[in-house]
Amino acid sequence: MSDEIAEKVISTLAGVKRVAPETISPDSSLADLGIDSLDTFTLLFELEGKFNISIPDDEARNIRTVNDIVEGVRKLIANQNRPSIESAQAAE
Amino acid sequence: MAGRRVAVTGLGAICGPGSNVGEVWNSLRQGVSAIRKLTLVDTSKLRFQIGSEVQNYDSGAHFPGSEQDHLDRFAQFAVVAAREAVKDSGVTFTPKLLESTAVVTGTGSGGQSTQDAGFADLYAQGRGRLHPLIIPRTMANAGASQISMQFGNTGPTYTVSTACSSSNHAIGQAFQMVRRGDVEMAIAGGSEAPFGLGLLKAWEAMRVMAPDTCRPFCKARRGMVLGEGGAMLVLEPMDVARARGAKIYAEIMGFGSSSDAHHLTQPTMEGPARAMRLALKDGGLAPEQIGYINAHGTGTPGNDPTETKAIREVFGGVADRLSISSTKSMHGHALGAAGAIEAVATVMALKDGVLPPTANFTEADPECDLDYIPNEPRKLSVEYALSNSFAFGGLNAVLAFRVGQ
Repeated sequence: MSDEIAEKVISTLAGVKRVAPETISPDSSLADLGIDSLDTFTLLFELEGKFNISIPDDEARNIRTVNDIVEGVRKLIANQNRPSIESAQAAE
Repeated sequence: MAGRRVAVTGLGAICGPGSNVGEVWNSLRQGVSAIRKLTLVDTSKLRFQIGSEVQNYDSGAHFPGSEQDHLDRFAQFAVVAAREAVKDSGVTFTPKLLESTAVVTGTGSGGQSTQDAGFADLYAQGRGRLHPLIIPRTMANAGASQISMQFGNTGPTYTVSTACSSSNHAIGQAFQMVRRGDVEMAIAGGSEAPFGLGLLKAWEAMRVMAPDTCRPFCKARRGMVLGEGGAMLVLEPMDVARARGAKIYAEIMGFGSSSDAHHLTQPTMEGPARAMRLALKDGGLAPEQIGYINAHGTGTPGNDPTETKAIREVFGGVADRLSISSTKSMHGHALGAAGAIEAVATVMALKDGVLPPTANFTEADPECDLDYIPNEPRKLSVEYALSNSFAFGGLNAVLAFRVGQ
């Protein structure tokens, strides 16, 4: 489950930076990967599309490593799913 | 006008006729037109299908990794041309020179193709989010900023946007800075990448686009044909250029600019004539000293007879001795890059003693009754030349060049 999100984040990152996914590990920092602020903007845009989430500006500013992104995405997906589960239960 | 003499010591160009100055000039000096069927856009929704595209352009080869995504095509052309021009000049940037190097670029549309595609997502696809790099890719100064970051130039850096006169204004401003002694070097020129469907439809609506080809000053002319590309010149004080043993392609003698203050799209004869006169005066030149004019020559019904009358007005009895051509017949009208591409053509014509022709010329027009070097290049050594740019909005900019000594 966690790997699935991590893999998707890494493949998105690789696409944005136009490098092979194998060169990116969860512990990599964005600075080490040469991801500057422009690449970060593009990355956030792509992640929002792929995971169907909306990343708040405050969260976006705190990203330093690939793991930060993976955990941030996981949290946003969880938050997003909660009301939908509740509403599904309510419908039963 | 007093001040330092200004030498052109480096050239860079990428446009339909070629991917560097050698290729571009080789094509222009032979009179080969690079107007072809457009491939960058789906032309099924357009009344015209032709343009002059940069051939086999591989952005990844020039801008590795994600860098290529940071620059719109127009800004990429600016940087590619600037890299060639700086390399060609053989200059070594010292920290002091970097601080004293200006970058002035021209563009008419900037990154409008990026904006066009982005807004299509919003309006046509109904997407709620836009790509985050639309602003930095679209901004007109992206070319100038990217060039300054390439080399680390921290001198005056800005962009001039005066439609089809943009890069003549840009080169003119840079020339004035070097002449006044404000800077020790300038990288100046322009770039344009107008091949996006939205922009082409907008041009189509102006009813100035030729469906067949571009035939400036010819009776059969049916309008303009767009081109894309970029060109840059390295300018430095003549004494400095000589002292470092630089090759001196040409000298910029003068710059003249004026406004018609008349109409957004209909040119006057007086405005362009005044810009030519001012360029001559600025360079301390008499009309009879000019041997060649690289004309604005768009191939529209409006421009060509008006430009012809303006030349007659300025040159009087010696107008018939002038050799004139519009190289837009070969590289298309590259809008904000036109003046810079034509400056390269003019400088190379002076240097090689070969005047590029007006291609696609089939039939003389009584309203355009000067010598336009139809179809065949002309071997002729010329000492002084003008390069004309006249923009929509009635903004005129003319540069005067002298062959390198």
